[in-house]
Amino acid sequence: MSNILEVKGLTTTVSGYTILDDLDFSIKENELRVVLGPNGAGKTTLIDMITGRYKPKSGTITFNGENITRMAPDKIFVKGISRKFQVPNLYETLSVYDNIMVSLTGRRKVFKSLLAKVTKKDNDRIWEILDFIMLTDKAEDSVDTLGHGQRQWLELGMLIASEPKLLLLDEPTTGMTEDGKEKTAELIEKIAKDHTVMLVEHDMHIVRKIAKNVTVLAQGKILAEGPLSDVVENEEVKAVYLGKGH
Amino acid sequence: MNDRQVYKAPMFPLWAIIAAIGIVFAIATYPYYGAAYVTSLLGKFLCFAIFALSIDLIWGFTGILSLGQGVYFGIGAYFTALSLKINYAAVNPTRYGGTIPDFMEWNGLTEIPGFMEPLISLPFAVAAGLFFATLLAFIFGVITFKRHIYGVYCAVITLAESLILQEAIIEYQAYTGGFNGITDYGTHADINVLWLILVVTIIFFAIGRLLTHSRMGTILKSIRDNDTRAEFMGYNVANYRIFVFCISSFMAATAGAMYAAWNGIISFLDAGPVFSIEGVIWTAVGGRGTVIGPFIGAFLVKGAEFFLSGKLAWTWQLIMGGLFIFVVLYMRDGIVGTIGKWWSARRKHVPVSELIEEADALAADRQKDYRPGQSKGPTEI
Repeated sequence: MSNILEVKGLTTTVSGYTILDDLDFSIKENELRVVLGPNGAGKTTLIDMITGRYKPKSGTITFNGENITRMAPDKIFVKGISRKFQVPNLYETLSVYDNIMVSLTGRRKVFKSLLAKVTKKDNDRIWEILDFIMLTDKAEDSVDTLGHGQRQWLELGMLIASEPKLLLLDEPTTGMTEDGKEKTAELIEKIAKDHTVMLVEHDMHIVRKIAKNVTVLAQGKILAEGPLSDVVENEEVKAVYLGKGH
Repeated sequence: MNDRQVYKAPMFPLWAIIAAIGIVFAIATYPYYGAAYVTSLLGKFLCFAIFALSIDLIWGFTGILSLGQGVYFGIGAYFTALSLKINYAAVNPTRYGGTIPDFMEWNGLTEIPGFMEPLISLPFAVAAGLFFATLLAFIFGVITFKRHIYGVYCAVITLAESLILQEAIIEYQAYTGGFNGITDYGTHADINVLWLILVVTIIFFAIGRLLTHSRMGTILKSIRDNDTRAEFMGYNVANYRIFVFCISSFMAATAGAMYAAWNGIISFLDAGPVFSIEGVIWTAVGGRGTVIGPFIGAFLVKGAEFFLSGKLAWTWQLIMGGLFIFVVLYMRDGIVGTIGKWWSARRKHVPVSELIEEADALAADRQKDYRPGQSKGPTEI
C-alpha cells in the first residue's frame, strides 16, 4: 500500500515558539492512524497545516502524489481531505438534515449550486447517513437542540457525506459521556473500514479499543511510531505522555 | 432504498400567493380610487422595500452587514435622475435661457460635458447605473471578501464607502447638483411607473425567495452560520458572498433608479450613510433572514415615520434609534422571525419559553468546551 499523505520536514513557529519541528509523517491508504501526544505537542497544528488553515514555515505536504502545501482550505477539501474540529463546528440555524445536505459531495461552484436540487439519490444518501450516526429522529430539528455527543456525531456524518479520501478527526470524543465515547469509537471503527482516517485522541480507553498504528508527538516531533502494543512499552513515551506511574 | 422525507416549507405557499395577488391588486388599482398623497408614498415605499430586501440578502443570508448599501441605491438613482434632468432641460430652458441642467449653468458649464453625453439616452443611463453599481459591488467583494475581511471591519468599510460617495456628490456639484441634489426634472409619477415598480418588486421578491429557499439558499445560510466549516467543506465562501453582494447591489440600484423617476427629486442623502442605516433598521425590524421581513419592515417603519414624524418631528430620529436597539436586544429575529418561531413551536406543541431555556442550557454546556481559536458558531453582529 502506498502513502496517501506524506509530510516532509514540516516546520512552523508561532511568535517564536516552534510548534512543529522538521516533522516527517505519513499515512498509508486505508489506514487508521491514531496520533497521541500531550497538550501542545502539535497535533491540532498538524491538522491545521494539512487542511490549509495555517501555512507552514517550511516543509511540504503531499497528498495522493500532489503537493498541497499552502493551498486554500476549500481547494484542499476538493482534493479529498475532510476534517473534524475539536469543538463541533456545525451550521447552527440549519436542521440536522440540512447540515448533512450541504455537506454532500460535489457541487461546490457558485453557478452550479444555483440550480442544484436535492435529488432522490441525495435524499436517500442523507437518510442513510442519519441512520449511521443515529440521528434519524432528529432530522428536522435545528442543530441547537442537539446534545454535545450528538453534535460530534453530526459532524462525523457531515464528513462522511463529503466522501473524502482522508478524514482528519480532532478529538471526536471530547466532552462525551462514557457511553457516548463507546458509541463514537464504534462509529469511527465503521468509518475506518472504507476510509483512511487520522485520529487525534486523548482518551487511552478509546485508543486501546480501536488503535492499531500509533504516532506519538511531543514538542513538534515524532517520539515513537508503530503498533500500539510496542509504543505503550516505549520508556520515553511512558515518561512524556502516559506519566511515570502508568 | 427509502422514501423518507423531511418537511420542507413550500417556496410559494398557496395562502401567500392568494394574499400577494390581493395586495398587488390593491396597490395597482389604488391610484384610481385613493388619495394621490398615499399613491406617491406607495411608490416610494416599494422602492424602499426593495432596498431593504437587498440589505437582507447580504446581511440576513450571508452574514455581512453592509452599512453602505445606499451607495448602490444612489448610483442607480443619480444615473437615472441625471438623464431625466438633461432631457428635461433640453426642452424646458432654465430662467437664464440655457438648455443644460441648471446646476451645470450655475457652476459655469456652457454645455453638457462630453463624458456625460451618453446619459442623454435614458435606457443607456439606467443600464449604465445598474452596471456600475454591480461592478462596484464586485470589485468591493473581491477586495474585502477574498481577503477574509468580514464582520465589524466590513461594516466600517461599507460605511466609509457611503460617506465617500456622499462627499463626492457634494463636492462635484457641477456634475451632480451638489448639496441641492437634482430637482425639477419633470413628473414621472404616473400609474405606468407605479406598475413598473410593482412588477419589478414582484420579480425581485421571487428571485429572493428562489435564491434563499433552494439548495443554494441552504448553502448561503450555512456560510452565514459558520463560514469556517463551510470553507473546510470545500465552499469558496468569498465567491458565494461576492455573488450575492452583486445581486443585492443590482437590486438596490434598480430601486434607486425607479425611486429617482417616481420621486422627482434626489439628493446626496439618498446615497449616504444615514439612509443606508435606515435600510438596516427596516430589515432588522421586519426580520432579517426572511424574504418578506424587509417588505414589512420598510412599510411599517417608513409608514410610521410619514404619519408620526409630523407630530414628533424632533424626537423621530431618537425613536428610530431606540427601536433599533430594542429589536437588536430583545427581538433579534424581527417581526416575521419572531412570529415564525412562535408558529413552528406551536406546530411542535412546545412552549417557546421552554425552547429558549433548552437552548440556553445547551449553550452553557458548550461554553465549557470552548477554546480560543475555535469558531463559536455563527458570526453575529
